[in-house]
This record gives sequence, structure tokens and C-alpha cells, in this order.
Amino acid sequence: MKTYTFHVSGTHCASCKIFIEDTLNEQGFIKNARVNLQRETVEIETDSDEDPEALTHILTEKIKSNGYKLSVEKSSTEKQSNDVIWKAIPIGLSFLILFFLLQKSEILNLGIGGQTTPVTSFIIGLIASVSSCLAIVGGLVLSLSAKVSQDNVSDTKTFLLFHTGRLVSFAVLGGVLGAVGSAIGINFTFTAILGLLASMVMLLLGLNLVGVFAKNKVALPAGIFNFFRKIEHKTLTPLIIGFATFFLPCGFTQSMQISALGSGSFMSGLLIMLAFALGTLPMLVLLSFGSASFAHGKHAPLFFKSAGVVVIGLGLFALLAGLAGLGIINPLFNI
Amino acid sequence: MNKTAYTIITMALVVGIGIVFLGGSKNNTETGGSAQNVEIKDGVQYITINARGGYSPKVSSAKPGIPTKLIVKTNGTYDCSASLVIRSVGFQKILSQTGEEVIDLGTPKAGQPVQGLCSMGMYNFSINFN
Repeated sequence: MKTYTFHVSGTHCASCKIFIEDTLNEQGFIKNARVNLQRETVEIETDSDEDPEALTHILTEKIKSNGYKLSVEKSSTEKQSNDVIWKAIPIGLSFLILFFLLQKSEILNLGIGGQTTPVTSFIIGLIASVSSCLAIVGGLVLSLSAKVSQDNVSDTKTFLLFHTGRLVSFAVLGGVLGAVGSAIGINFTFTAILGLLASMVMLLLGLNLVGVFAKNKVALPAGIFNFFRKIEHKTLTPLIIGFATFFLPCGFTQSMQISALGSGSFMSGLLIMLAFALGTLPMLVLLSFGSASFAHGKHAPLFFKSAGVVVIGLGLFALLAGLAGLGIINPLFNI
Repeated sequence: MNKTAYTIITMALVVGIGIVFLGGSKNNTETGGSAQNVEIKDGVQYITINARGGYSPKVSSAKPGIPTKLIVKTNGTYDCSASLVIRSVGFQKILSQTGEEVIDLGTPKAGQPVQGLCSMGMYNFSINFN
């Protein structure tokens, strides 16, 4: 019988302790496993003859899918995380400045006159995907993608589902708008509240990516993280989020919805909204698959923290704008 | 050493963001204030505001105590400024992409500015009555 102490990473919450202990204790060769959350260690009594290094690999396999990792040495990303954040903040801020300068530059304000055809709505989609709408839709995509990649969930499948859900629901809902005509009004307050919700998710995930929660152990209620964990694994979730982006407050989306309303038939409404969604696709695909490739690369810790800074910035912007839109606070800025 | 360098860069970037947000809106106020967009015809005051990529002029001043109508002009407007909210008169509408929307503001009282926003809240304009 030997006793080893390993470092464990990815423990966000009190219930993580129970989960890890239960899983490890299920292994035949382990007599007793105890997790120490403060020190992020797990103590194991085993009669296995494997050397410690091999043992951590075997055990990590069992709990990897839930985002935990065992190691003999304290994880190296942990050690350098302090330096990384100092690099990540300027990188993130630079992206934010570029983004807001682009909004101010009025390059995006080109007018497209005449009838809305699928071609014009595709072009409008392209413009929308780099406009201020990116603050909400893109910020949400970036934060969710980075989070999903960080948790090692099968990210490609998740992203494909998200984008499919988005395209299909834009097409179908556009068709419905065209067929029903002016019967449904798109409620301003509803979209504004949805926007606030999205900005809150962005702030939460952004802080999580930067590592505020992990480092200071500001223990978010265990329930919230378990909730995230759980929904990440569901096939339906990315589809539903893709569907929900139809209702997120974005001026371009709203004017396209009005065009679809006025188009008079199911097919024409469908084509307008589908073309618009296709126009926004390149940028969003870049965001989600780009973050996945960074997440699996060498600079992953830097990427996660920079993305976190960007997402927090966009989340704050969306939150303040959303509150102003609802008339709760005075508008603080005019981009 | 490294850390101080990054801290300095961070501070510079924060100042940069401040300039982008606040500096810009100050300029707009100055140009907006002098704009001739208020007209009185047959006892009705008309205020014209263009909506595309934001609202211009951002600040207008008009006279209180006379019936007032607001004309919002759109011209190929697909961005957020087309979805206009004016809470004080309960107006919420996504404007047509090109056209004019006439909004009745009633008879405004002095010192009660009217504020319009786009539904996402990032563009706004205000009209002062004094």
C-alpha cells in the first residue's frame, strides 16, 4: 500500500471534491481518495505498482471529461498565470480599441438603397458581423467558444451545432415572419432583456476566463458551474443558443426582420433571413473555430485570458447600452 | 521590469479607450448644437433628425410651449439607429429603411428634454427645450 499526493486542477466548487473522490474511489486499485480543495491536491492510497507519473495519466483519463486534471508537479500554467495576465490585459484592450475605433470610423455606415434582396441582405450580414452587433452576438460566441474549448468538450461538434442551429432558425423564423406578415411585433423590451442576459453571461464567462474565480476562489455558487457543465454536454444547448441569437438585440437583425415581415411570403422571408445569417457566418465561424485552434495551441493560457479581457469589455459595453436602452440609466456614450 | 512595461502599456490603452468614448461625443455635441434643424410652420414646431449610423444632430434645442413634431429621416438605414425608442412619449418602432417618420411630441414643457435611443442603447440623441 502506497500513498501519493497529486495536484488537481479545474476544481471550481465544493461539489467537485465529492465528484472526484467518488470517481477515483470507484477504481479497483484505489483504496482511498481525499481531495483538499484549499491546496488543490488529492491524496490517494493505492496498491497499484504503477509509478506516480503513469498513475496520474490513468486517473486523469477518468475525470478529464469533466474538466479536471491530475499531475505530479503543480501545473505549469498555474505558475506563470501571473505573468500571463499582464500580457493579456494590453492585448485584450488593444482589440477593444480597434473594435470601437472601427465603429466610430463610419466605414460601416454605407447605405444600401432600394429593395432588400437576398444579395443585399447577405452584404448587410457581412457588415453586421463586424458592427456593434458583434459586441453582443460575437462576444457571446467568443466567450462560449473559449469556455467550451477550455473545458475540453468536443468543441468542433458543439460549434457545428451552434452554427447550424443559427442558420436553420434564421431561415425558418424569417419564413414565418414573411408568411405571417405584420401579425407578430418583435418586442423591444423582450430583446433588450435578452441582451442584458447575454451581457451577464459574457461578464461571468469573461471573469472566469481571466481566472478571477479560479485564483481568488471566489466560489460562485456550485450550482451555476454545475449548470454550465451540464448544459455544455447537451447536444440541444448549442442549437438553442443558435436559435436565441435571432432575438438578440442587433439593429441589423431587426431591420432584416422587418424586411422579412414586409416580404409577403414564406419563401422570400426565408431567403432574406438565411442570406443575412450566411453573411454573418464567416466572422462568427472565425471566432469560434479560431478560438478552438488557439485553445489547443501553445499560447492557450494567454489566449484564454486575452479573450476574457475582450469579452469583459464587450459585456460591460452591452450591459451599459442595454440598461440605457431600457431607460434604467442615462446613456453614457454614443459610439 | 516586464510587469512595469505592461502596466504602462495598459494605462496608455485605458486612456485611449477613454478618448474613444468621451472625446468623440464632446465633438459631436459641439457640431450638433449649432445645427439648423428646427423650423416653425403654421404654429407647429418641426425638428428634423437624421438616423443612419447614429443620430445627427445629437443635441438639438427647440422652444417649449408650442405643439412639436419630430421628423426622423432614414436613408438606407439598416443599423441600430433604425430601431428607435423615445420613452417619454412611449414611441417604439423599427423605422423603414428609407423614409420619414413623423412623431408627435405634444407640447413640450421647458426644462424637460426629450431623449431618443436606439433599441440597443448605443446611439442616442436629445432635444432640449428652453
